[in-house]
Amino acid sequence: MAEARVEYQEELERLEASGLGGLELVTAALGRTLEAVEQQDVELAQIVIADDDRIDGRYLEVHQALITLLATQSPVATDLRLISALLHVLKNVERMGDQCVNICKMIPLTGNDPPADEEMVQLILAMGRQTRTLISQSKRAFEERNVDMARDLVRQDDVVDNLNRECFGLALAIGDDPDRREWAMTMLLAARAIERIGDNAVDIGEQVAFVVTGLFREFEDASHPNEDG
Amino acid sequence: MQGAAGATRAEAESTEQQMPASQPAAAPAPTSPPADERRAKTIEACDLNLFYGDFQAVEGVGVTIEPNKVTALIGSSGCGKTTFLRSLNRMHELTPGARVEGRITLDGHDIYAKGVDPVQVRRLVGMVFQSPNPFPTMSVYENVAAGLTLNGGRMKKAEKDEIVERSLRGAHLWNEVKDRLDKPGSGLSGGQQQRLCIARAIAVEPEVLLMDEPCSALDPVATLAIEDLIGELKSRYTIAIVTHNMQQAARASDVTAFFNLEETGKPGRLVEIGPTETIFTSPKEQATEDYVSGRFG
Repeated sequence: MAEARVEYQEELERLEASGLGGLELVTAALGRTLEAVEQQDVELAQIVIADDDRIDGRYLEVHQALITLLATQSPVATDLRLISALLHVLKNVERMGDQCVNICKMIPLTGNDPPADEEMVQLILAMGRQTRTLISQSKRAFEERNVDMARDLVRQDDVVDNLNRECFGLALAIGDDPDRREWAMTMLLAARAIERIGDNAVDIGEQVAFVVTGLFREFEDASHPNEDG
Repeated sequence: MQGAAGATRAEAESTEQQMPASQPAAAPAPTSPPADERRAKTIEACDLNLFYGDFQAVEGVGVTIEPNKVTALIGSSGCGKTTFLRSLNRMHELTPGARVEGRITLDGHDIYAKGVDPVQVRRLVGMVFQSPNPFPTMSVYENVAAGLTLNGGRMKKAEKDEIVERSLRGAHLWNEVKDRLDKPGSGLSGGQQQRLCIARAIAVEPEVLLMDEPCSALDPVATLAIEDLIGELKSRYTIAIVTHNMQQAARASDVTAFFNLEETGKPGRLVEIGPTETIFTSPKEQATEDYVSGRFG
């Protein structure tokens, strides 16, 4: 039989590429955010904040086009699951962009020459690099519909979570100096934001499994961590 | 012209009224059993093969059509779904040269068993057709009552009045036609005519309602009215509906069966049957996926 609905299929493929392309924007934003943290670069932080409009714009553009496809093409089966998943992923992309903004808004608060703890800075940079890997892996897993690769995001995210806990330990041991304590608390918020970006990447992995299997299950249930998820 | 339950007048008159052989002696009379005594029945087809002369239209279909559910039969033109539907009340055999192999049971009773009266089968298994087909010379009232008299029953006027009103109410048509029951049925709108045909079909209190693209000639408003009606009727009947409208199958049915044929000239086969929600979100077969998503035409 001849292939039908070619334009619709091409539009759906274009929207998937564009939606997942949002993850590249996030990867770039997180890279700049880490550089701004490392260098205490307030100007670079402002650029990241301004650039978040591009991520939001991508969200709005693809979201609207997917709603139009739902309204006009009545997608079902795999197409319906894909569109549902993309709507989720877009929300994840938008939230990850916002977390980068949250971090960048903290950078001016720490001052030009903050009483930084080098070990804690390095931990946060390591968290960020690992999280960028997660984002890339979630994108690839989605593109390839690779459930094993998607499930592996949980293991990769555990690395981020462990680094976050180490950060917390360092903040507790930062000493009594009020300026250093304030800096450490601010950096803990930054670490928390990065950790949330990692969680969003895992959420994307769960959507990969949904597209492939038609069943949605959380890879790990945060409210029941000791049960099989 | 088909009668309300699919029987021709000639057949109804020439065939001595009798219940299917496997029905118990105390089986319901041709007139309607009281509503509270009737219940929807299960239809089962087992290794069903349907032929038009040498041409095999349907091959190896095994399926259970469950009571109090709407089962949608979908598939491209020529895949055998309408032929299959027509075999469920023995209308297939009305086509010259047509024959049936295999077994179809209504609550376990073989409807093709020797001695079973096809007219009686069609009373138990009613049919609504693609185009609304009220008897053109009959009034609204006479159209609804036609099945009652075609089945040979004699009935008091008051009893007939009550059945006509109940059937028209059941088909959501009463309020629109109660003041013109003596006017020709053909004067109604398309949607009203189709509801009139549904009223005619349910007047004889069948256990099963078969519908062959009942909305294909109707506008969207009339279509939705019929779909709402189907949703209500399933509480009392077993319903099977052939439709080419994917959204209608998704909206109106509980179970969807997908028929397909490998290539033109080959017989149609049942590819997949399952809950409608599953068929339209995660079908098991690639052929089903391709069809419901319109990827191949």
